[in-house]
Amino acid sequence: MATASVPFTRFISPSGVGPLGVSAVLGAWTLIVILPLLGLVLWSFLKLENFQLVWEPTLQAYRDLLSSGRWEVTVRTLRIAAIVTLIELALAVPFAVWLAKGTRSVPVKVITLAALTIPFFLSLSARTIVWRAVLGLNGPINSALMSLGLIDQPLDWLLFSEFAVIVGLIGPYFPPMVFPLYLAVTLIGDELLAASKDLGASPAFTFRHVILPLALPGLGAGFIFTFIPMIGDPVVPELLGGGQVVVLASSVKSLLQVLNYTVAAALSVFMLAIMVGLAAILALVLRGRVRRQST
Amino acid sequence: MTETSEKPAPASEDILAIEHLHHRYGNVTALKDVSLTVGRGEFLTLLGSSGSGKSTLLRMIAGLEMPTSVGIFTLEGRPMAQVPANHRNVSTVFQHYGLFPHLSVGQNVEYGLHVRKVPVPERRRQAEEMLRLVKLDDMYGRPIHALSGGQRQRVALARSLVLKPAILLLDEPLGALDEKLRLEMQIELLSLHRTLGMTFVYVTHSQEEALTMSHRILLMSNGEIVQEGRPEDLFDRPNNRFAAEFMGMENIFTAKITGIDGGMISVTVNGALLRGLWTGKAQPRIGDPVAVAFRSEKVKLVRDKGALGGDANRFEATLKSRVYKGKYLDVVAASALGDVRLRLWDDHVVLSDQFKIEWRPTNTVVIPID
Repeated sequence: MATASVPFTRFISPSGVGPLGVSAVLGAWTLIVILPLLGLVLWSFLKLENFQLVWEPTLQAYRDLLSSGRWEVTVRTLRIAAIVTLIELALAVPFAVWLAKGTRSVPVKVITLAALTIPFFLSLSARTIVWRAVLGLNGPINSALMSLGLIDQPLDWLLFSEFAVIVGLIGPYFPPMVFPLYLAVTLIGDELLAASKDLGASPAFTFRHVILPLALPGLGAGFIFTFIPMIGDPVVPELLGGGQVVVLASSVKSLLQVLNYTVAAALSVFMLAIMVGLAAILALVLRGRVRRQST
Repeated sequence: MTETSEKPAPASEDILAIEHLHHRYGNVTALKDVSLTVGRGEFLTLLGSSGSGKSTLLRMIAGLEMPTSVGIFTLEGRPMAQVPANHRNVSTVFQHYGLFPHLSVGQNVEYGLHVRKVPVPERRRQAEEMLRLVKLDDMYGRPIHALSGGQRQRVALARSLVLKPAILLLDEPLGALDEKLRLEMQIELLSLHRTLGMTFVYVTHSQEEALTMSHRILLMSNGEIVQEGRPEDLFDRPNNRFAAEFMGMENIFTAKITGIDGGMISVTVNGALLRGLWTGKAQPRIGDPVAVAFRSEKVKLVRDKGALGGDANRFEATLKSRVYKGKYLDVVAASALGDVRLRLWDDHVVLSDQFKIEWRPTNTVVIPID
């Protein structure tokens, strides 16, 4: 009997990406992300003499980091990021719960979600610079306070201060906190909320024992999307801090401007370590919670 | 299956009374002038197809929704119309159970006790006792996702029962279970009802569940209660066309009243004369257009002079179709009335093309035309 040609079959992964594709992606990733990072780490263990790299390992850059008051910059950066993240949490949690469960009106949801996205169409600098006019000595806030007779001198700490930086950061980092939270709360079934109420729970009890634990993954994602990028964000502190509020990202920039590459590299490695450390702690905490929920 | 006589008769005292309840969603009327009472210890079923308003009515009783307007709404004698769900002494078993996925079986059962600030050891004791009652003895620490549908159902029951509510509300609780499990759970719910002596209000679209389990059934359609009564009343004596159709009377014909003799009514269908019982609310009058209805399984083949006596409705019939269903034979036969459906349980061996059929006037209902 003539043999029909058996079609040659081989394994095709569900995503349709073959081994060649995978290695291409991995190769590109190594080239674009891993190599520069390794370079950064390598440089942080070298030193500069007469603007020339000296190729012998040393901790000089890290010693310079500690002695040059960068410690204070680190603490300030973390403090600002933490305060803004807490403010975002306080604002975003009730907002997300309202948007996901509080309103049944589809137009309200669509318009609100659109309003949260539109700011991304404008550059961050353009959005931030507006605060200078608002918070300035002759700005509307100072004028209003003075005409109300609450103060007789304009408040000078409104602008070019840590306060101004915090106010300026709240807006841009609100959507990245709200979106994951909104999604997480949307996924909580209405029947669960009805059941909680039916069993006698007040809204506060339901929030604490049903909504919050079930929205925890969204909370974690919101934290990662706000706190961590804020540590690396120089734009708002520079525009509203007016040189008074130096954060890590600006510090790296100024080191690069004076061509102090090794200390800049050390500082970058230090920032990276903080971010990876925070993300790891968060992942561990969340994994513990999620495992408890699913076993 | 449980017989009606085994169901304990409810006490006469009303635990819930609702009069003239209306509810609207925007322009849509969800409930129209609904009045009902529930006796202490009663098993009351709200029966109806989807969209009939039965679940909405249950949510009103639970307090999860507030009626647009209501005359009287009392629970255990206290006015409840404006009291939210978390302050009402009733508890709901939801259609999809509404179990908290992040809590264990035991924590789910304890939830209501936790809300009421019952101390931890007492909470645990009561939860374990209730889990024993629903036959989930060793499941206290299990996560919800590791349970089968039937087990989740029991957890939901335990979670509600542990609060000892005045009324347990059940919203199609067996809808998501397979046939065999559903029959088991019916029996178990009945035995729970008997053991606890609690009042149950049960929502279902299945007439079989309603007939099996209830003391009393409220049949609902389009937001109104169309008939209320014991299972036997609804099954044998539907008093309107919707009830007759819903309770499975396959033979319904439009007719005209020609004679009234006490409760027994003579009617003509396409010129053919037959007799049945008047079940409608209004008084019948000669000449009124009405509908006449009877069940397919009450129609018999006539042998010799007829087994059902001289006053039976009896007609010549011609076989149109027959479908063998194993336990019985479904037959459609043409007669002077029109096409009559028969369900024959023992006669499917001999069936010629021409035969006579008969059924009792007491198994025939005459109802208003609408």
